[in-house]
Amino acid sequence: MVHGLVKRYGDLLALDYFDLDVHEGEIFGLLGPNGSGKTTAIGCILALLTYDAGTIRVFGQPMTPTNYALKRRIGIVPQNVAVFNELTVRENIDYFCSLYVPRRAEREPLVEEAIDFVGLGEFRDYRPGKLSGGLLRRLNIACGIAHKPDLIFFDEPTVAVDPQSRNAILEGIQRLNGNGSTVIYTSHYMEEVEQICDRILIMDHGRHLALGTADELKNMIDAGERISAETLDLTEETIERLRALPFVIEAAYDGRELDMRCRRGEHNLVDLLAVLRSANVNVGRLTSRPPTLNDVFLELTGKALRD
Amino acid sequence: MRTTFLTIMKVNLRNRIALFWLLLFPIILSTLFNGVFGNLEDGYKVKPVPMAVVADANWSKAVGAQSLVNALNGNGATGDTARNDEGRDEADTANDPADGRRLLTVTETDSTRKAMRLLADGTAKGYLSADGGGRLVLTLSREAASASRAGTGESESGISISALSTVVDMYNRTDAMTRQTLQDNPKATTSRQFWNAVGNSANMTRETTLTNFKPDAMARYYYALLGMACLMAMSYATNAVSMVQANLSALGIRRTVAPLGRAAQLLAGFLACWLCSFVALLIALVYIRYVCDVGIGGREPAAVLAVAAASFMASSAGTLLGAVPRLSADVKSALVSAISCTLSMFTGLYGGFAMQLSDWIARNAPVLGTINPAQQVVDLFYSLMYYDGYGPFIRTCVTLLVMSAVFLAVGMAVLRRQRYEHL
Repeated sequence: MVHGLVKRYGDLLALDYFDLDVHEGEIFGLLGPNGSGKTTAIGCILALLTYDAGTIRVFGQPMTPTNYALKRRIGIVPQNVAVFNELTVRENIDYFCSLYVPRRAEREPLVEEAIDFVGLGEFRDYRPGKLSGGLLRRLNIACGIAHKPDLIFFDEPTVAVDPQSRNAILEGIQRLNGNGSTVIYTSHYMEEVEQICDRILIMDHGRHLALGTADELKNMIDAGERISAETLDLTEETIERLRALPFVIEAAYDGRELDMRCRRGEHNLVDLLAVLRSANVNVGRLTSRPPTLNDVFLELTGKALRD
Repeated sequence: MRTTFLTIMKVNLRNRIALFWLLLFPIILSTLFNGVFGNLEDGYKVKPVPMAVVADANWSKAVGAQSLVNALNGNGATGDTARNDEGRDEADTANDPADGRRLLTVTETDSTRKAMRLLADGTAKGYLSADGGGRLVLTLSREAASASRAGTGESESGISISALSTVVDMYNRTDAMTRQTLQDNPKATTSRQFWNAVGNSANMTRETTLTNFKPDAMARYYYALLGMACLMAMSYATNAVSMVQANLSALGIRRTVAPLGRAAQLLAGFLACWLCSFVALLIALVYIRYVCDVGIGGREPAAVLAVAAASFMASSAGTLLGAVPRLSADVKSALVSAISCTLSMFTGLYGGFAMQLSDWIARNAPVLGTINPAQQVVDLFYSLMYYDGYGPFIRTCVTLLVMSAVFLAVGMAVLRRQRYEHL
């Protein structure tokens, strides 16, 4: 779909020969920190932004500003809420749907369906100024999906949204996908991406870093386990002994908690506890968890996703 | 496109800030103007003063006194006094008792005592009587006398009483002079030249109107106000254009990715903005014309056309401002206010100094007035009021249309197929 896309802002390379291939019917996640180029990539794909090199094809057709037939099949939920403050919920959805579906008779059921879909039925006559942040986000989504697009771009739709609304939004996206829409979802929230996306592309500095399912991405890295232990009496010598263990990639201690990134292994915890016991270290809570996408990002870039 | 048109209409009509500047602001300010200028003008109007006339024996002896009172009362006015030099019919004002020609409403009494009673109960503000020598005597109530001393404004009959006092003085002077001349030279009674001279000495300055309409110095302020409201109407189009540009608003992103072409969206927005500003300005015009009673030369249908031309220019200028690249929507909105306020200064809206500046520009640098859209809007109404023909009005309309065409052409050239380097 996108091949060798290059976008420069002056000296800054925003997209560095960026490639993207989304399969029809999947939820595709674009994961990267703020400023990694996610929104720029979407802007280029939607023919909003000019770009310096590369090709973009959507549903097999070149994407241009005047390819209206293609645009009719696409929906967008922008990062910032994009509605008219002077119109009611229903009027907003109706207007944006009218840009895709001019005939009123054809449009009306779509608008009602979109209102029901995002659960704004009781707020249909409210103006945006009277809606909470979560409800506004739902309105933003309704305006982008009312015309039943085949491909929907969600650009960080859950930013500044309460957990309840966030869950509702994520469930809604999964339902849209269940109804046949292909979804491209950008976020810097790894949990969300992991929760709903079939495949995930991790990007940073406009570059494609890794692509695959969440499990595939986690398997790409050395870290297979993250072990944390609460302890107050860890000496420098003990820490060095821990670092010397063959499965330990990295160990850090802040005076209260020991945090270790470890390679995959069946006896990691047992071996770790043996060292701690021999050093007479008292351990409070001890936890072990599998790697997250943040660990993947950390290993790929040397920095945490939320840094 | 139809839905976009209707939507932008709704957005405009629910935009409280724009509604304030386009609708409420001219109405509030013209109401204030009306309050200030209305009282000022009333003070300078000649209104009939209720007077008593002591029609006793002395009055009968005073030759010409009754004729004078009849003339001042309006009964002696002949048809030609209600017509100006060009023979233009002024019937619309001639029948008005307060048209500036009638100085008195008369109540006749047969004695001074009765006249004094009329003064005391407020029926009359004074009385006219004649002494034994045929001299007219004007006696005023205390209030009327102080109004006469004040001269204008402070009392609604001050000017009329001053005028009446002058007329009575002139009558007495002419009468005394005539009597003295006849006494010294009795042959003068047969001289036509003498009697013509007597008549001429009584002639006063006569007001004539050479223009289409009686000049109204204060009307300029109302026209300047319409000019400013018109420029503020740019905000509709500026906002509408900003809402289509993806680099200025999330709304712009959503609308740019939609399968309705930019030109169609811009055209629908432009038409909606034009209609909204036309309606808003028309309401302001109707208020100024019929509530504030500011004339437009009896050419109301042409004034509607003027509003259409002015609002078209405002929408075109707003489109150009909205199309300026690299300025945020907020900056553009601030520019609308700044431009409107600045250009309105040169139309004279801000008082005496601004009026002088406007006049100076008209005399010394007329090209500055020609390129000032606010001044052109003022000139639209000005030309309707003051010129006999429609030539100046049409010329101003054409100037505004040329301006609009330039604004639109440049704006569209910038907006056409605009794609963005940044969002």
